[in-house]
Amino acid sequence: MLDRDLVTDVLTAARRKGGDVAEVFVEERSSTAIRLDDRRVEELTSGLDRGAGVRVFEGATYGYAYSNRLDRDSLLEAAAAASAALAGDAPGQIVDLTDRTGPGTNRAERDPSTVDAATKVGWLRTVDDVARDVSLEVAQVTGIYFDSLQRRLIATSDGRWVQEDRPRIRLVAQVVAKRGDVIQTGWHGPAACAGVEFLDEHPPEGTGRRAAERAVAMLDSIPAPAGEMAVVVANGCGGVLFHEAVGHPLEADAVDKEASVYRGRIGEQCSSELINGVDDATIPNGWGSYDFDDEGTPAERTVLFTDGVLQGFLQDRMRAARMGADVTGNARRESYAYPPIVRMTNTNILPGASDPDQIVRDTERGIYVTGLGGGQVNPASGDFVFGVSEGYLIEHGEITTPVRGANLIGRAIDVMRSVDAVGSDFETWEGVCGKDGQGAPVGSGSPTLRISKITVGGTGV
Amino acid sequence: MSELRDLVQAAMAAATDGEQVEAYAEEERRTEVSALRGEVEGMTFAESRGVGVRVIRDERLGYAWAADPSADEVRDAVARARENAALAEPDPSNALPEAAPIDPMPELFRAESAGIAVDDKVRTALDLERYTVSRDPRVTKVDLAQVGDQVSRVAIASTTGVDLGYERTDAFVVAVTLAVEGDETQTGFSFAISRGLDQLPWEPIADEAVDRAVQMLGAAKPETSKVPVILDPFAASSFLGVLAGALNADDVLKGRSLFADLVGQEVGSSAFTLIDDGRRADGPGACPFDGEGVASGRTELFTAGVLNGFLHSTYTARRAGDGQRSTGNAKRGGYKSAPGVGTSNFFVEAGDRDVAALLADADGGVLIMDVSGVHSGANPISGEFSVGATGRRIGPGGALGEPLREMTIASTLPEMLQGVRAVGSDLRFFSSVGTPSVLIGEMTLAGV
Repeated sequence: MLDRDLVTDVLTAARRKGGDVAEVFVEERSSTAIRLDDRRVEELTSGLDRGAGVRVFEGATYGYAYSNRLDRDSLLEAAAAASAALAGDAPGQIVDLTDRTGPGTNRAERDPSTVDAATKVGWLRTVDDVARDVSLEVAQVTGIYFDSLQRRLIATSDGRWVQEDRPRIRLVAQVVAKRGDVIQTGWHGPAACAGVEFLDEHPPEGTGRRAAERAVAMLDSIPAPAGEMAVVVANGCGGVLFHEAVGHPLEADAVDKEASVYRGRIGEQCSSELINGVDDATIPNGWGSYDFDDEGTPAERTVLFTDGVLQGFLQDRMRAARMGADVTGNARRESYAYPPIVRMTNTNILPGASDPDQIVRDTERGIYVTGLGGGQVNPASGDFVFGVSEGYLIEHGEITTPVRGANLIGRAIDVMRSVDAVGSDFETWEGVCGKDGQGAPVGSGSPTLRISKITVGGTGV
Repeated sequence: MSELRDLVQAAMAAATDGEQVEAYAEEERRTEVSALRGEVEGMTFAESRGVGVRVIRDERLGYAWAADPSADEVRDAVARARENAALAEPDPSNALPEAAPIDPMPELFRAESAGIAVDDKVRTALDLERYTVSRDPRVTKVDLAQVGDQVSRVAIASTTGVDLGYERTDAFVVAVTLAVEGDETQTGFSFAISRGLDQLPWEPIADEAVDRAVQMLGAAKPETSKVPVILDPFAASSFLGVLAGALNADDVLKGRSLFADLVGQEVGSSAFTLIDDGRRADGPGACPFDGEGVASGRTELFTAGVLNGFLHSTYTARRAGDGQRSTGNAKRGGYKSAPGVGTSNFFVEAGDRDVAALLADADGGVLIMDVSGVHSGANPISGEFSVGATGRRIGPGGALGEPLREMTIASTLPEMLQGVRAVGSDLRFFSSVGTPSVLIGEMTLAGV
């Protein structure tokens, strides 16, 4: 995208005041978005984005500047602006830029740009038709198709030269069901870093049907109970809980700022001994996968918990250096418009030994959670919430009436210690995680889990 | 400015017969500085520009955008938007607005603010952090102490005669503190915005962030109950975003709003008046015209609890028919997206009683100071919500008591609006939404 001599000059300018590392991140991204709403293809959008960011850091201080102009003058100006954050006066050296190649984690078999827009529109029509066929109570369907190809170049003053293409594809169905005054919604949106072949595994029919079934099922729902009770989290949903409750506080920037409940607790039993958890950017075609992170560090599978014992944190270069830890390849950025920060990739609780059906049968009273709307955590206090979009009562070991309007709230360490069953099944869920104003595509996964006691925030007192 | 105008005019020149073309260009220069442990933590300088093009042909709409395009690339974007339009379905409501006179809002741009030197911003960030950690022995660290500002410019032109531009300056200060006592850590957040950093006193922000963290130390989990609730402006503002979704005419027309059939009815209590006013110059969402060049206006959505109507763009007004006009609420998330319906300054009208008076009326209730999980726990379509909350008990005479955490509050939007017993005089804007404290008769609080 840029030639090595120019990049070397930019890195040299960025190190005019020294610093530990200077880095250039260049990006070109083409994208297609199609939205079907109210039975009509409302909007087709195609975008072409490009830009470059220059960062230099020393200890805990960084400067970052970006521009969406890629000419020499603009890049040198960005380098000069970034270097202004440092106070030194001894220019730093630039090591020869050497190609690094990755394993090709996110290979796309069929490039979406080779498929015409009419075919993509057809997938959305299928979503619409299938969803409406589920029930006459389906009142509205929105289908969104998205694909993008991000081409990245990362070069650093210590010699990294990494080029990687990241393909993304997603098909989302959002369904509104209505019965009298009651309106309920259902959502399903599988996604991957892959090509069109992804839709062979996750066809539009299934996506439309799943979202519609969720919305219609919730029409029969009663308000969720409020108070402490047992909660069984279906496979796939527990990964988001793990992401919020545990993942965010394990990000090294929170730990370094003393804003994490897990600080200083490596080697401690911070979770139930049934919990084995990893953050894994190496899963082929995973929504949060890559060959190299956005600092050019190779992707890793980082073990977070072994039998409930905390093993380590998620690191980027700045924090790892400060904490004397190994980098784990978790530096990510939304685009060239942002400096990289410590992020999760695909965060999974690994399968256990219990039969998932038996977990439900062994639960006298509680909530069975089968759909979720994301969550939020305060890493410093460990308090987190987790929105339940689809849930059911468990009564005497049976899944019974659907419930709506529920949220789970708890303290990270307490809740992870009260997991008392982990199933042998496993499922994933794809979302977009927000942090410091940046969105990052993340995967999460889990088997069926039971939490022996957690506060359910419904309205039924 | 002239460069932006050249870009949108390049798109006009690429229009062909039988189509409407609109081009929207924006550029911004942004600086952010954060401080930590007495040093600069990070400095970010951003410069970006882009153009988005809408083409309507045979009642079909297509959109394309490009970052920092040349005139050739703008023409290419027009061609791509035209190709996209050909695949969309015809919709008679698709149309660009006709040009109409706009009252400029020169007060949105302050040359003094745009000219603040980087060194001064760095000094402000360092001062902010140093001051924040000096106020209370339990607050020796910040999670974030940051200042930032930006200068932005917009130009928009269309084949229906729109030819507009404006510029603005914006600035913010944010502090997030960590209060530590024993094993417990609590956080406190405060935030303010204005037209320029030189107009933004940051000491009160630091003080408030410290106070809000320290107050939460020793917080306990309450018992599950139904109680009166006061949402402070921080907490109340989180709900306004959900409410905005339910008052967006696009969602109303497509059957995605619980308010769809309630115009003219007393949906909320008489204490509740909700306004969108893009011309209120002291609000961060102020702008002379919206994302398609229609003059910003003032829309009273609820008057004393009665629902008057919804926020409209040109598209939704045409689709609604019945003499409906755009309310000047076609909003964009930047040049990368076609305009949808959004808010400008969206706020609950202040009442005449101060917070102390509201507290005195809520004996036995809870003051909610922060809510979490709103994006996942509140559904603007069904109107149901359940969100995490922190706050304090309210005792006799309105005295604030024990801090509370690990609880949720749950209700539905209609029940909450009907339950509004009073609003305070302390209206405050957070980004483009603003609200005073709100006293609600009863909500379900879930804890133990």
